[in-house]
Formats: sequence, structure tokens, C-alpha cells
Amino acid sequence: MNQFDEILKKRAREEPFPLPQGYAGRVLQTCAALEEPKPRKRYPFRQVTWAAAVLALMIVVPNVSPAAAAAMADVPVLGAIVRVITFRNYVYDDGFHSADISVPELGGDEAAQTVNKQVQDYTDRLIKQFQETCETMEENYGDLSVTNSVVTDSDVWFTLRIDAVETQASGYQFSRFYHIDKTTNQVVKLEDLFRENSDYSRVLTEEVQRQMEEQMAADSGAAYFPEELTEIDPNQNFYWNEQGELVLVFDEYTVAPGSMGMPEFVIPPEIYETLLK
Amino acid sequence: MFTPHEILDKGSFCTLVIACQETMFRTAKSILRQDEDAEDAVQDAICTAFASRDSLRDVQRFKPWLLRILTNKCYDLCRKRRPTVDLEDMADRLPSESQDHDQRMTLWQAVLSLPEDLRVPVTLFYYEDLSVREIGQVLGISEAAVKTRLSRGRGRLRLLLEEK
Repeated sequence: MNQFDEILKKRAREEPFPLPQGYAGRVLQTCAALEEPKPRKRYPFRQVTWAAAVLALMIVVPNVSPAAAAAMADVPVLGAIVRVITFRNYVYDDGFHSADISVPELGGDEAAQTVNKQVQDYTDRLIKQFQETCETMEENYGDLSVTNSVVTDSDVWFTLRIDAVETQASGYQFSRFYHIDKTTNQVVKLEDLFRENSDYSRVLTEEVQRQMEEQMAADSGAAYFPEELTEIDPNQNFYWNEQGELVLVFDEYTVAPGSMGMPEFVIPPEIYETLLK
Repeated sequence: MFTPHEILDKGSFCTLVIACQETMFRTAKSILRQDEDAEDAVQDAICTAFASRDSLRDVQRFKPWLLRILTNKCYDLCRKRRPTVDLEDMADRLPSESQDHDQRMTLWQAVLSLPEDLRVPVTLFYYEDLSVREIGQVLGISEAAVKTRLSRGRGRLRLLLEEK
């Protein structure tokens, strides 16, 4: 430890640090109100094997088959039928690490099956990383939660969102969006919306950077890292909001401090409509 | 190898918490910046820690264990609501108007003016005397990352405090 460290530690000890009025009393009250829950049963980490008990696979809502889903969709639609027909839940808790992962499965044609494969591959990767965390950081705490939601389900478009939160010390929230254009029955990425060689990436990047600067100028609580956004990726997360506007979504910490959560930017149509296919 | 361990009773748990109350508030405030949010996080962390105290293997590690739960609560709060800045809290970060220009910035004012990723490791190192290894465990980052952040924090503190 160098001399400057010693000076700072001395100042930390000696400079008064006022606690809020009543804080000590509130801590005491919180302690006094604690109720003895039944302690969770802890299992020796090594005795829990992934094969036996770690990933309890449960089919939670096996409500309809793909064929039944198609039969149930008795309203006329323009394009392919896509429905979430079942969820597979993985749950795990060893006292130090816990996971609660819900993996949806879509019913529908090739595009739905393609999304199923992508979602499965993605969640398998998350589970594998979680297993590795459990094994390498057995004395630390870690949680993984994966949920899903249908963002859009119209006659022409279907969007499935997978949200994940990894918590070790600081939490990390990230998402993936999967889109199906029902009129073509194709899985769609951001780049597929735009004409080839349309320079959409630069246009969207500049618009997001502009909005970041604008928000920071208007609100001292807003903080972004516009310089860290070098290029909108062809696979950039997006969805269409209820007004039909394009919304770009960024994972936590990628373009802003963690306190900003997962930033979203609504892109005005006039910015990109001439670039669309 | 897993070995059975004693689970803290309520009295012992509360004694340890009360001994850490200033540490908890300071750590929470270094992340959340606002007194009310920091107090909420401390309260939540105490309840969660008590409910899961059977997972504490070694009572000697109570402080980093508790701080890890607390920092999780703080980041959860950050995700749920974007913090707004209270003018009264700004007083902690900036010298007050009445403060004499010759009066030096306090260490805490300097710490709160650091970027978010530096504030917690700097607080834990200088105020709470945690080792680099313990800070890494609290924050879930490598020791190398802790050293890097401390080095950056130290550099900024030197600029802030020595120019006064």
C-alpha cells in the first residue's frame, strides 16, 4: 500500500460521516421485526449432480400441440400461425446458486421451428454458463432468471422476447428478441428490414447517439456512453411498439451505466423509412 | 468439502448487523447516492440476509457476505427505478455555496464524484478496509479488475484532493 493510500485511509477514519437522522433506529427496528423462518435445507454442493437433481425439467403448460394450435386459430389470418404452445421450466437451488429458467416453445411452421432452435441454443448456453459459475465459484452467490413474453402477435408479425437477469454481485440484465414475418413465414433480423447496401447501420447509430446526447442535455440524471456505440449490429435487438415505430433495445451496461437499466430508443419513421425494403 | 456449520441465531445476527450498519449505509449510498434509496436497500438486505443466513459458511466472513447481498439489492433498485437526483443529496457531492474556497473537499465528496464503477471498490477499500480479494468477492469481479478500478479511482482522487 502506498503513502497516498495510507493518507486516504486515515482521512476515511477521521473525517466525520454523518448518517441520516433516525437511521440507527430504523436498523434496530428492522432487526427487531425479523422473524425466524425455517432455515433452508442446505445440500453439500458436491452431492448435487446436474444429471440427477440440478435441472429439474418440468413441462409446465403443455396445453396444446402444434396441430391443435393451428386448429384453434379459427379466425382468418393473412399469414402463418405462430403461438407459444408450451414452456419448459428449469429450476435449481443449491443454497448458493439458484436458477429459474422458462423456455417457451412455439407452434407453427418452419419459421417457428427455427426460432425454437435458436431459443433452445441460446438458453442452453445460458444454462451451461450457469453450471460453470456454480462449479468455479461455489462459495459465491449467483442467480439466473430467464423469462419470456410475446411482444407482438398480429396478423402479420410475431415477436418473442427472452429476458435474462444474471445476479452475482451486480445484476446484469439482457434480452433477445425473435421475430417472424407471418406474411413470408420467415425469421427476421434487423438487417432483413432494410435494403441491401442501404447504410441503415450508420443512420440508426447516428440517431441513437443524437438521442443519447439530447437526453443527457435535458436531464442531468440521464447518462449514456455514445462513444461506445460504434455501429448498430445486424442482429441488434428491436421491436415494433404499439404505434408501429421501430424501437431499438440495448442490454444493460452496453451503452449506459447500470443505473439506466436496458435503454430503449424509439426511432422516428422518417429516419429509416426510405431505407426499408 | 462441505462441512456442517452453525447457523446464526437472531441475537447474534442482529449484533453483527448493527456493527456493520454504517458500512452498509455507506456502501449503499456509494451506489444509489440517495439517502432514502440507500436506507431501503439496507432494510431489504437485512431481511434477505437473515432469511438466507444458513448459507453463510464462516461467520468471520459475515461482512463481505452481507455486503454482497446489499450490493445486489442496490443494483436491483437501480434496475427498478432510475434514480433522480435530490438537491439535498447534491450537497454531499459538491462543496456548498457557503463553503470557503480554501476549505478542502472531503474524501466522501470526492468519492461520490467518481464514476459509478469506481465508487464501490474505492469505498470498500478506503472506508471499510476490505482486501482486494474480498472486494472481488463482494462485487463478483476478478482481483485484477478490482486492482484496475482502484488504480483508476486512486488517480482521480489524487487529482480531486490534491488540487484543493
